[in-house]
Amino acid sequence: MKTLSPLNSSNPCLLKTHFLKVPIFNPIFKFKPLPHNTHHARIAKVPSFTINSKLKSSQDINNKGKKSVSQKIVLSETSPPPLAVDKDDINGGSGNESVPVSSKKKGGVSGLAKKLSKKVLQILSNLSLAIGEMFTIAALMALGTVIEQGEAPDFYFKNYPEDHPVLGFFTWRWVLTLGFDHMFTSPVFIGMLALLGASLMACTYTTQIPLVKVSRRWAFLHSAETIRKQEFSDTLTRASIEDVGTLLMGAGYEVFLKGPCLYAFQGLAGRLAPIGVHISLLLIMVGGTLSAAGSFKGSVTVPQGLNFVVGDVLGPTGFLSTPTEAFNTEIHVNRFYMDYFESGEVSQFHTDLSLLDMDGKEVMRKTISVNDPLRYGGITIYQTDWSISALQILKDNEGPYNLAMAPLQINGDKKLFGTFLPVGDINSPDVKGISMLARDLQSIVLYDKEGKFAGVRRPNSKLPINIDGSEIVILDAIGSSGLDLKTDPGVPTVYAGFGALMLTTCISYLSHSQIWAIQDGTSVIIGGKTNRAKMEFPEEMNRLLDKVPEIVESSSSQQVDTITSG
Amino acid sequence: MVKLVDTLLLGSSARASRFESEWRHGIFYSKRLLGHLIFMIFSTLEHILTHISFSVVSIVISTHLITLLVNEILGFHDLSKNGMIISFFCITGLLITRWILSGHLPFSDLYESLIFLSWGFSIFHIVFCFKKHKNDLSAIIAPSVIFTQGFATSGVLTEIHQSAILVPALQSHWLMMHVSMMIFGYAALLCGSLLSVGILVITFGEVIQILGKSNNLYFLNESFSFVEIQYMNRNERNNVLQKTFFSSSRNYYRSQFIQQLDRWSYRIISLGFLFLTIGILSGAVWANEAWGSYWNWDPKETWAFITWTIFAIYLHTRKNTKFESVNSSIAASLGFLIIWICYLGINLLGIGLHSYGSFTSN
Repeated sequence: MKTLSPLNSSNPCLLKTHFLKVPIFNPIFKFKPLPHNTHHARIAKVPSFTINSKLKSSQDINNKGKKSVSQKIVLSETSPPPLAVDKDDINGGSGNESVPVSSKKKGGVSGLAKKLSKKVLQILSNLSLAIGEMFTIAALMALGTVIEQGEAPDFYFKNYPEDHPVLGFFTWRWVLTLGFDHMFTSPVFIGMLALLGASLMACTYTTQIPLVKVSRRWAFLHSAETIRKQEFSDTLTRASIEDVGTLLMGAGYEVFLKGPCLYAFQGLAGRLAPIGVHISLLLIMVGGTLSAAGSFKGSVTVPQGLNFVVGDVLGPTGFLSTPTEAFNTEIHVNRFYMDYFESGEVSQFHTDLSLLDMDGKEVMRKTISVNDPLRYGGITIYQTDWSISALQILKDNEGPYNLAMAPLQINGDKKLFGTFLPVGDINSPDVKGISMLARDLQSIVLYDKEGKFAGVRRPNSKLPINIDGSEIVILDAIGSSGLDLKTDPGVPTVYAGFGALMLTTCISYLSHSQIWAIQDGTSVIIGGKTNRAKMEFPEEMNRLLDKVPEIVESSSSQQVDTITSG
Repeated sequence: MVKLVDTLLLGSSARASRFESEWRHGIFYSKRLLGHLIFMIFSTLEHILTHISFSVVSIVISTHLITLLVNEILGFHDLSKNGMIISFFCITGLLITRWILSGHLPFSDLYESLIFLSWGFSIFHIVFCFKKHKNDLSAIIAPSVIFTQGFATSGVLTEIHQSAILVPALQSHWLMMHVSMMIFGYAALLCGSLLSVGILVITFGEVIQILGKSNNLYFLNESFSFVEIQYMNRNERNNVLQKTFFSSSRNYYRSQFIQQLDRWSYRIISLGFLFLTIGILSGAVWANEAWGSYWNWDPKETWAFITWTIFAIYLHTRKNTKFESVNSSIAASLGFLIIWICYLGINLLGIGLHSYGSFTSN
């Protein structure tokens, strides 16, 4: 009992704690000093939960001579209904008193490990640490967008030189040693993410899961004073608590009535949903790690009519990547074509693919386009790019000749491809010829050997054009399809995490309101609080209480008048 | 080049029989005529709606400014409320017209998303107008936001903005959900952040004023009690009011106002955070469908994640009840800057996979 002396001298301690740093102080539960109860409750019966907090109290409670005073303050509301609570579940279940005792029984090392893990858990679930971590991660990400990623070291030597460093100290040494050139896979960033994950796990375990147990209990308040101290409180003269209860039930609250006391709550899901948020974040992190370590990626540009084997194109991304049987599939590009708007712009591009297995039998055939990938055996094939590979022409009715087209650099996103048909002496250094340019597969623009515009032809029209004495017929423009292939084992986990996150974030918008009431003679004292919708709560309560009927006692009989009281 | 092709096309239809070709000509031209007519009707409608909404919002803002400077003029309250409702309908009409005109949802580029943003603001303003029966709170913030927003779209960018076509990567059903959720999220978060900036301005303005007045202990007492008054609940505050000096009642009302701002800001930011979460996640799923991986550390994605993180910090700083409003307001004000960087800054730079909305590209 001596060890709990700070709690004995309740009032000064109570005032002080408002201004002290209380890292994991759950503000909902009132700090009620009940020293005797707590001590007994801890050992024998039913403590509600334990809060880890550091009390710097002027009273000396160091009977064991510990340096940092870390007391476990066990709170319990007055007269809790008996609940069976397994002591192991309470965080750091055994208090400071029992730990050394039990550890002495088990042996020094395991006791030390237990104490260490508890200390680590305590540090990790600190809220300020978590906020600091989140802030650091945000700052690192911002830095990652400012500094160019993935360039050769030369780039950083030039842009962050040592002789006049950016911001006075930031040179390429900082960039390269800390791994800022590949920020999002650098050890610093991944380390911070891992730390945040650990904090998430610690916080979920220590503060949120006990919350589930506590929130489910109903706890009555027996003193009118305490009720008056709530955020919202009111007194109804001449009312009955049963009427209040009925009204609350009508408004959607769950009401519990015991004698003169009443407790009602609503929106409990809103208090429990943040646990779901944290768990789904952990799920996403796990899925992301799986994706990063175990997937295959690759991309290829295939001209129309050619094949490639899946396994040749894909490369692993991490140490968990294992190839599957589906990697032996051969993919044949049957046709590549594009759709156009009326104005001539490209509206969509499509590739007709057939998948053949090792025996040459076709197992699947699908036309893919952007936003519409092909999925087979865990592999997904996306349409991401296109180009023109060759132009098939007839020259003076000879041919057909395939002229390879090369991409030409112009500004902007528009592509331009060109090819060249030499005319005359091929071996002379000054060879001239016919140039053909194409922006897409629709039409080809031809220029003669002086560079003057000669005409436009559509590949399907088969109309000849006469340039410099030769007759050219454009038979076909052969396009090639840019495909991205990928396998990703982490996707189902990540999608599950996404769905859960969306759902739980929605639910955590709800507000958890609690109302207590006491029948004091003929008047009812009501108090309540809510954790989120603090603006609407008083108005809602006022509206509700306006509906409570006022009991008017006449000498002859009791009449209940429904005068709105207020 | 296209015209040549067109003549070629028409020429090829001449191969059919004469009657058929004439018939085809007739249909072709009348369809075009009808199309032109509809186009013209809708585009003039769009013009009109833009100008109406813009002018209504300007009028509302000016009346608010006047009521601030000159004391409460009766009847202006209703005027501003009705004005906002009118502009809301105008902007809705504008968006629907653009939708019909271009055949796709109005999300394809920066101009359209800015109009959608102003629509989001007007929705939030109206919701809060109707929820709160005296609307001096939201009436200050939301119209000014809409004004800056509407001005940016109507005035700064080109007057006639032709609706552009969608590039292949944007032709997806996810476009609707991702972009609308993101923009609603931005609208809510911006409103909430402005309220928090308001809290900071009032709190620090007051403290600076008090400390600057004199070293009189009287004033110091006032400043301390001002800060602490905020953290008492209603009942305690009533007791304090009865016991303290009369001049502290000014602090009382001011702290009451700050508390209201704080709570409204919390609620709006929670809602905005919800929309932002859904927007980011639907964007990730869409990216997986279109580009092959759900997270590419694209600048826009990264900055959206940074915004999300900052507002998660905001929500967590409120757990610690000591100084909850000041700390969280600082976080929310930072969030205000970051949203603008994320939304406009990245687009202006024109880098990354999200470069559709940049000024440099078409």
